[in-house]
Amino acid sequence: MRQGRHLGALRTLWIAAILAFVYIPIVSVVLASLANTRYMRFPHRVWTLEAYGDALSSFTTWQLHSISLSIALSVVVLSTILGTLGAVAFARYNWRGRTWFQRFMVLPIFFPQPVLGLALLLTFTAIGIQPSWKTAALAHLVWILPIVTLVISVRFFGYDVAQEEAAYDLGATHVQVVREVTLPQIWPGIFSGVLFGFLLSWSNLPLSVFTSGPDTPLPVWLFSRTATNYSPLVPSVAVIGTVVSALIVVGAGLLLWAGRRLR
Amino acid sequence: MTRAGSPGPWFAAPVAIFMLLCFAGPILIVTWFSLMPGRTFELTTAFTLENYVAAISDGYARPMMWSLLGAAITTIVTALLAWPSAIILHRYAGRWASLVSALIALPIFISESVRLFGMSVFMMPRGGILAGSLNAAFGIEIGSILNTWNAALVGMIYIHLPFMLFPLLLGVSLIPADRIEAARDLGANRWQVMREVELPLAAPGLMIGALLTFVLCLGANAEAAILGGRAVTVITAAIEQRFNYAQDWPMGAALTVGVIAITAAIVLPVLSRLDLNRLTKR
Repeated sequence: MRQGRHLGALRTLWIAAILAFVYIPIVSVVLASLANTRYMRFPHRVWTLEAYGDALSSFTTWQLHSISLSIALSVVVLSTILGTLGAVAFARYNWRGRTWFQRFMVLPIFFPQPVLGLALLLTFTAIGIQPSWKTAALAHLVWILPIVTLVISVRFFGYDVAQEEAAYDLGATHVQVVREVTLPQIWPGIFSGVLFGFLLSWSNLPLSVFTSGPDTPLPVWLFSRTATNYSPLVPSVAVIGTVVSALIVVGAGLLLWAGRRLR
Repeated sequence: MTRAGSPGPWFAAPVAIFMLLCFAGPILIVTWFSLMPGRTFELTTAFTLENYVAAISDGYARPMMWSLLGAAITTIVTALLAWPSAIILHRYAGRWASLVSALIALPIFISESVRLFGMSVFMMPRGGILAGSLNAAFGIEIGSILNTWNAALVGMIYIHLPFMLFPLLLGVSLIPADRIEAARDLGANRWQVMREVELPLAAPGLMIGALLTFVLCLGANAEAAILGGRAVTVITAAIEQRFNYAQDWPMGAALTVGVIAITAAIVLPVLSRLDLNRLTKR
C-alpha cells in the first residue's frame, strides 16, 4: 500500500500547514516582543526582555488591564445570571413560544459585531449616555449573553427532569431541589459559561472599539497602536494581556478544583 | 407537548427584555435615524428616504461591494481549507483529533487585535519576521505584501477559519461511515462520494459555517485597517467615517440599515429551517 502511505503523509502535512497558519502570527508577536529597537528589524541584533520590564513599569499597562478586567467581570456576572435563567427557558421547559425565543436568542451571534457596535454607539449618543467601559460591557453582553445561554443550554439538554420530580416526591422543598439536584448537575455548564464570557469579553475588539469611549480596553489600545505609533511596548503588552487572561482562567480552574477537594 | 402554566416564559423574560432593549432597540433607533433628513441629531416624524437615495448616488455602493466580495471570497476559501481538515480530523486523526481541534480552537480566545498585529509583523516589509528571516537565511529580498487588499483577505481567512471549521466538523460527524462504504462498493469514485454522499449529509454544518463566516466578514473592518492599510474602504469603515468625522448620523444609519438588511436576508431564511434543539443536543 504505497499509495496509502503517501496519502497519510499528505494528510499530516495538510494539518501541520493549517496549524502553522494558525500559530505563525501568535509566534510572531512573541518574537517581535523580544527586541529593544524602536523599529522592527528582524532578526534582532539583541534579544532581550527589556520591553517587558518597560511594559510592567508603565502605568498605561495597568490601566488597560484594569479597564479590561472591569468590563470582563461585569459581563461574567450578568451573563452567568441571565444566561442560566435563559438556558432554563431555552432547554429545560417546553412552552408555547419557545422556538421563537430560541431563534431570537441566537440572532445576535449571526450579526456583524462592528455593525452592532456602531448601532449601539448611535443609540447611546442619541439618548445622552456617555460611552465608557460600562457601555462597552453592555455592548459585550448583547453578543456574549446568547453564547453563554447556548453553552449552559447544552448542559440542560442532557439533564433528566425525572430527578427533580423524584426529589419533590421525597418531600424536598423548592430551594432544596434547586440547590441539591439542579445546580450540581448543570454546574459544569455554568462554569463553561463563565469561561466563555470572560475570555470573549477580554479579547473583544469590534464591539469595544466603538462603544468604550475614552476608557481604552487592551484590544482597542493594541489596535490603535498597531496602526500608528509602533514600539516594542506593543507586542510585549499583547503578550502580557494574553498571558494574564490565561492565568486568570487557570487560577479560576484551580480554585474550583481546590474547593471541590475541600468539600 | 405544550403545557399551560409552564414556568418557561418567566425564565425567558429577563433575557428577552434585555435583548429587546439592547439588541432590537438599537436596530429600531438606527432604522428611525436612517429616515431622518441629512445631518439631524434628533428623531422626528418627518420621514424621508433621501439618505438611501444619496447612499447609492454618493458612491457607497463601492464599499458595500468590497465588503460583500471580501465576505464571499473568505467564505469560499475557508470552506476549501476547512473541508479536508474536517474530514482528516474526523476520520484519520484518531487520538490526535481532539488535541489538534483544541489547538485550532484556542486562538479564538486570543484577541483579534493581537493576532492581526502578529500577522502584520510577520508580513512587514524589510524588518518583518518573514522578510527578515528570508533575507538573513537565504539573502532573498521580498517586496511589500502588507497594506494590500490581498493581505486583508489573508487576515479575514485567518480570523474566520475556526468559525467555518467547527460547524463543518459537526457536519462531517453527521455522515455515517457505512454510507461511504456502500457508495464505494457501488462503484462511486472519490469525487462522486464527496458530491453525492458526503456534501449533502454534511450540509447543515456547512450551512452554519458559511452563514457565520459570511455574516461576520460582512462587518469586518480590523483586517482592512491593520493589514489592508486602508487600501480599500470596507462598509464598516465608511459608516464609522459618516458617524464620527462627517457627523452625519442619518446617512451612517442608512448604510447600517443596508448591512442589517443584507444580513437578515441571508440569516433569517436559514435560521428558520434550522432545528436548534437537535443541534445543541447532538
